[in-house]
Amino acid sequence: MLLREVEYARPATVEEAIALLSEHDGARALAGGQTLVNVMKARAASPDVLVDLVDLDELRQISFSADQASLELGAMVTSTQLAASSEIEVARPIIAEVVSTIADVQVRNRGTIGGNICVNDPTNHLPPLLVALGASMTIRNSAGERTVAAEDFFLGVFTTAVGEGDLLTRVSVPTRKPGTGDAMAGVTLGAHGTYLVSAAATVGSDGVRIALGCVSSVPVRARAMEQALADGDLTERSVRAAAAGLGASLDPPADVHASADYRRHLAEVSAVRAVLQAAERAKG
Amino acid sequence: MTAVETEAGTLQKGAAVGQSIPRKEDNRLVQGQGVFFDDVKRHGMGYLHFVRSPYAHAKIESIDVSAALELPGVYGTLTGDEVAILTDPFFQIAAPPGGHVKDYALAVGKVRYLGEPVVAVVAETRELARDASELVLVDYDPLPVLVDARRALEADAPVLHEECGGNLSYAGVWEWGDVDAAFDEADHVVSIKELHFDRFNSTPLECSGALVEFNRGTGQWTMYTNNQFPGFAAIMMGPALRVGLDKLRIVTQDIGGGFGNKITTHPQLVACCLLARKLNRPIQWTEWRTEFHQSMSHGNERWFEDTEVAVQADGTLLGFRTKAIDDAGAFLRYEPLGGVIWSQVAAGLYKWRHLRLEFTQAMTNKAPVSPNRGYSRMQQLWFTERVIDIVAQELGFDPVEIRKRNYVQPEDMPYETPNGCVYDSGDYPRALDLALELIGYDGIEERRAEASSRGRLLGLGIGSTLDSGTNNFGQSQLVNPDLQFSGNNEVATVKLDIFGEVVVTLGTTPQGQGHETTASQVVADILGCSVDTVHVRAGHDSYWNSHAGFSGTYASQFAVTGLGAVKGAADMLAGQMKKLASMVFQCPEEAIELADGFARIKDNPEAALPFMALGAIPNANNAGFPEDPPTMNCRYVYRPFFEVPDKERKFGNLTLTYATQIHACVVEIDPETGVTEVVDYAAVDDCGVRVNPQIVEGQVMGATAHAIGAALWETFTYDEDGNLLTPNFYDYHVPHALDMPPLKTAAIESPSPFTPLGTKGMGEGGGGGIHCICAGIQDALRAAGAPIVTDSHNPYHRVWELIQHPERSRESVEVRST
Amino acid sequence: MAVTPTTGRTISVEINGTTYEREVPASRLLVHFLRDDLDLTGTHVGCDTGSCGACTVQLDGQAVKSCSVLAVQAHGTSVRTVEGLAGKDGELNALQRSFHEHHGLQCGYCTPGMLMSATALLESNPQPTEHDVKIALQGNICRCTGYWNIIEAVVAAGQGGAA
Repeated sequence: MLLREVEYARPATVEEAIALLSEHDGARALAGGQTLVNVMKARAASPDVLVDLVDLDELRQISFSADQASLELGAMVTSTQLAASSEIEVARPIIAEVVSTIADVQVRNRGTIGGNICVNDPTNHLPPLLVALGASMTIRNSAGERTVAAEDFFLGVFTTAVGEGDLLTRVSVPTRKPGTGDAMAGVTLGAHGTYLVSAAATVGSDGVRIALGCVSSVPVRARAMEQALADGDLTERSVRAAAAGLGASLDPPADVHASADYRRHLAEVSAVRAVLQAAERAKG
Repeated sequence: MTAVETEAGTLQKGAAVGQSIPRKEDNRLVQGQGVFFDDVKRHGMGYLHFVRSPYAHAKIESIDVSAALELPGVYGTLTGDEVAILTDPFFQIAAPPGGHVKDYALAVGKVRYLGEPVVAVVAETRELARDASELVLVDYDPLPVLVDARRALEADAPVLHEECGGNLSYAGVWEWGDVDAAFDEADHVVSIKELHFDRFNSTPLECSGALVEFNRGTGQWTMYTNNQFPGFAAIMMGPALRVGLDKLRIVTQDIGGGFGNKITTHPQLVACCLLARKLNRPIQWTEWRTEFHQSMSHGNERWFEDTEVAVQADGTLLGFRTKAIDDAGAFLRYEPLGGVIWSQVAAGLYKWRHLRLEFTQAMTNKAPVSPNRGYSRMQQLWFTERVIDIVAQELGFDPVEIRKRNYVQPEDMPYETPNGCVYDSGDYPRALDLALELIGYDGIEERRAEASSRGRLLGLGIGSTLDSGTNNFGQSQLVNPDLQFSGNNEVATVKLDIFGEVVVTLGTTPQGQGHETTASQVVADILGCSVDTVHVRAGHDSYWNSHAGFSGTYASQFAVTGLGAVKGAADMLAGQMKKLASMVFQCPEEAIELADGFARIKDNPEAALPFMALGAIPNANNAGFPEDPPTMNCRYVYRPFFEVPDKERKFGNLTLTYATQIHACVVEIDPETGVTEVVDYAAVDDCGVRVNPQIVEGQVMGATAHAIGAALWETFTYDEDGNLLTPNFYDYHVPHALDMPPLKTAAIESPSPFTPLGTKGMGEGGGGGIHCICAGIQDALRAAGAPIVTDSHNPYHRVWELIQHPERSRESVEVRST
Repeated sequence: MAVTPTTGRTISVEINGTTYEREVPASRLLVHFLRDDLDLTGTHVGCDTGSCGACTVQLDGQAVKSCSVLAVQAHGTSVRTVEGLAGKDGELNALQRSFHEHHGLQCGYCTPGMLMSATALLESNPQPTEHDVKIALQGNICRCTGYWNIIEAVVAAGQGGAA
C-alpha cells in the first residue's frame, strides 16, 4: 500500500523525457499511473525514477494521418478521451466501444492508451484489440524513431518493444474501410471486470483477423481459424467449424477463476462470437 | 415498490416508532466528518506495520530486527518472544483438546497461516514502518501444509498446535427425536454425498485498525478502534495483558462496516497495547486490504457429508442425518461457538422432528475464522434449503408446494423446534407468496421461453431463511460444559441534562445500522418529545458506564437488546419525570402526562413544565423538597429471559427472536460459457415491528448484495501450499453497481411476543440470496442434464462444469424408495 | 529544474478552493497527502489495489482515485474532496440531501467517494438515467447498501436539477 522511496521528474518535452529514461537505469515512464502506482504499492516493482509524462502535450493528440488512412493516437490519450473522440467515432468506433468497458470512470479518466499497452498485462483490453486491428506503435529514443507492428510490439511477460531509454509516442490505427466490421467478445469477472478470456476480431475485404487475450503473455493470433475463414464464408456454421481446434492449440494459464481447459473453451467461444459480431457489423 | 402488510396489531407504534425518519448519522457522514479510527491522530504517534508470514506453516528459527531498528525514524519492534513473556495466551472457548491452543498477539515459535503477524515494527511514518519491515529477517523452516479440513483428523495430517495433539477443535453429536424410526418409516430416503458451503466473508470497506494510547500514571490503555464487540474483546484482552478490564478503555465512533468481521481483532490490539507501553507513544495500526483478506475473519467453510433425508410419499420431510465438517482455520478465536450456533436453526423453516448432525470442527493452515454475516446459521439454512430443493427435484415435487407443506405454519407459532428453540412468530407461506408475486412467478415459463430464444437458460430459485437474533450465550456450554457464560444483555442510559437536553448512551457499536436514529425514535415516543430533541451519543465508550459483558453490535440483536435497554431506561426516566412534575405541582403522578416536550397535568395542560425545568432541579436546584427529587439519570440493563440449556440433550431456547426472509431470484445462464447473471430479484422480510422501515429495508438490501457476491464471485480459495489466491479486490470480486439486479422488496410485520417492542433483530439476513441463487441455477440447468448444485459458491467455471458433466454431480445423489 | 529527479518536491495544489504549498516525498499517495498531511480525513482508503473507489476525489473536475495518483502528480491541479461539497455554513448540497433522504448510506465509509463520483457525473450530465449512474459509480464499492438506494439518490438529485 505504501511506496518505497522513489525519485520523480517532470520533463517539459519529449526529448527531456527520453533523456531521463536513457540516463537512469531504473527509470520508468509514468503516464496515468493506474497500473504503475498500484504495482508500486504492492512493491511488485519499484522503479528508481519516475518520469512523469503529464506535461507532454505532444503525446495527447488525436489526429488523422496525412493520407487519412490511419488514426494517430498520442500515447498519453486517456480512455475517457478515446471514448469521447469524434475522430474515433467516425474512423474506428470499436476503440471507443472497448475502452468504455475498462474498469470504471476513475480509471478511464487517468489511464492512457500508452500505459494500457506498455504494461502488457495479459488481461488488458487494448493489446488484443490493436493486434486485431493491425495497429502499429511509434517508439522514439535518443537515436530516433521507429515503428513496430502491433504483433511485434508485445514480446513477453509485462514486456514490450519499448526498452530502456525508449518512449512510446503514438499508436497508429488503420481507419475502418467500408465493408469492415470490428468486435470484441469475452468473459469478464463481473460487469466491466477483468477479462478471463478475450477475443478481438476484424472482418473485412482482406479477410479476418482474430487476436486472443489472456491465453498467453502476449496476444495470440488465431491464424488457423483466420485461414479457415479465408473463403469468406462467415455463417455461424462455418465460423464454429473454423474455431475447432483453436483451444487445443493454446497453452493458457490456470488460476482461481479458470482452469487451462476452461480458458481454452472460452477462447473458442469468444473467437466465434467476436467473428460473428464483426461479420454482422461488416454488412453495414 | 415496498408493500407493507401488518400481520397483527403492532405494539408501541407511536409518532416516531414505525416512521422512516431520515438518519441523524447522515449529516456528518455525507460531509466526510465521520470519525473512523484512522481519522484519529495523536502527536508523536508511531505507525505500526506487521511483518507477516509468507508461509502457511513453518517453524520460526530466528528473528533479527537489528537492521530495522537501525533505520532512522524507527521507534521500536515487538516479537513473539516478548509477547510470550509479557502476556498469557488468550482464553479459549474450546474444551480440551482444542482448548489447549496457545494463541498470542504475535506468532510464537511457529507460523500457522500465510499472513500471520510475526513481528511488529513501529516508525515515524507509515512508509518508514513499511520500509523497516522489509529489513526484519525471519528465518523459517517450512512444514507440511494442511488446507483441507476433511483431512485434518487423519493420522498423517500435519498438526498445527502440538499442545492439542491433533487438529480437532470440537466434535459433538446432535440428535433429537427418533431418527432411526423416522428413516424406517420413510417412503423415500434421499442421499446426498456432499454439500459444500464455501469460505468467504463480508469484506467491510474499512479494514481493522486502532489508535492506542497508554497512560503511564494509571496503567490504562485507550483504544480508538472499530472492534464491534468490545465486551468480548475486553474479556479476551484483560487476562492476556494481566490487567483488570477497567484498564482497557475501548472507544468507537464510526465504523466502516463490520458484519461480524471485526469481532476478533483482539490479538492485534494487544500488540498495539504492548507497543504503546513499551515505546511510550501512541500506536497507530491500519490494516490494509490484502492483510485483511489474508488474516482476518474468514467465514466458516463447512461440508455436509453423507446426508440422508427421510421423506414421506406426500413430500413431508421427516428428518435428516448428516455429518458436518467445519474448517476453523489456524486459531480458535470465537470458535468453536460455530459448533452450536447453527443449532438455533437446526430445522430451518421446516417442521421435521427427527434430526441428527455430527459436528466436527478442525483447524487448518488458513486464516482464522470468526463470525461472518449470518454466522453458522447461514450454513445450516443453506443446507436445509439445498436439501428441500434436491428432494423436490429428485422426487418430482414442486419447490413451492413442498416448502409450504413442510413450513412451520403461522398457527404453530410460537413453535418449539426439536431442540427446544422457540420460533417466536412469522408467516412463512404468506412471505413466500409475496416473494413469488414480486418476482412474477406466474409468468416464469414465458420468461424461460424468451430467454431460450436468446440462447440462455433461465431459472427461478427460492431461498427461505431465518435470522435468529439475541443469543442465549448459555449455548456456549453445549460445546464446552465448563464455560461460565449464559444469557445476554445490553445497556443504555437516558438522562435529562441541566438544560433539559435528553442524552442517550448505548453499549452498542453500530457500523451503519442507524442506532442513533432508531434509539431516538424509541425515546421520543416514550418521553413525548420530538426525535430532533433526543441526542444519542455516537458509538461506544467504556468510560460511559453504559455497557456490560455482552455489549456490542453483532448477531442481529440491536432492535431487541439495544432498543430494549433504551426503552427500559426511557421508561424509567419517563416515570421519574412524571414523579418530579407531580412533586412540583403537588398532584398525583397519574395526573401527569408527557407530551409535546412538556410534563403537564392531563386535565390542565397549561400547567406544564418544560424539560429544562425538570433537568435543572436535581442538577442545580434541589433545595426545598421533602424527599429526594429523582435523579433524571437512568441506566437500564436489558436482560432477555433465558434458561441455561440442557447440556445432556443439547436442548433449550438459544435465541429469543427469529426474523424471516424469503428470497426469490431469476437467473440466466449462458450455456456456452457458464456465465450466470441474476436478472431479477425479490426479498420479503418479516422482522416484527419495524422501528424504522427504511433502515430495515436497507439491511435487507445489503444482505442481499452480500449473498449475491458470495453465490457468484466471492471466495477465499487456497492452493495446496496454503497461499490465498484471492488476497485483494483484484481477484476477490465483490459486486459493483452494474452487477446488481433489479430488486423488489416487501415486508410483513409479525411482532415478536417476547420482546419489549415487538421487534426482532434482522441485520444479518441469513444468506437468503445464496440459497435462492443455488436453487435458480439448479432450476435453469434442468434443461441441461439436471445437475445438482452442491456448492454454495457457483462461479462461472463451476456452472460450466455442471453443464459439461451433469452426471458427475448427479452421482452424488441417490434415492431409495420403499 | 524539471529534469533533475528528486525524491521529494514542493507542490502547490488547490483543494476545495484553498491553495496549499507543501513539501512531499514523491512516494506519497495523494490520498495520504490529503488525510495525513492536510488532515482532510473525509477521503477514505478501502483497499490497496485501486479497486474500491473510497478514495475518489475530483481532480480538475474529473473523478479519480486518489490512491492511484501521487501527490506530486497533483501539483498545479485543482482538487475537490467531500469536504468541499457543503456550503460554508455547513448546509448540505442537493446531492448530499438526496443521499440522506433516500437512505443512500449506512456506515458512511464509501460515501465520500460515491458523492465525488456522483458530483463529477452531475456536472457533465445533470439528469442522468439509472444506467448512467451505474456507469458513473461502477468504480465505487459499497458493502452495506447494495447500491440500490445510492443510485436512486443520484437519479433523484439529477431530477431535482441541482448539483
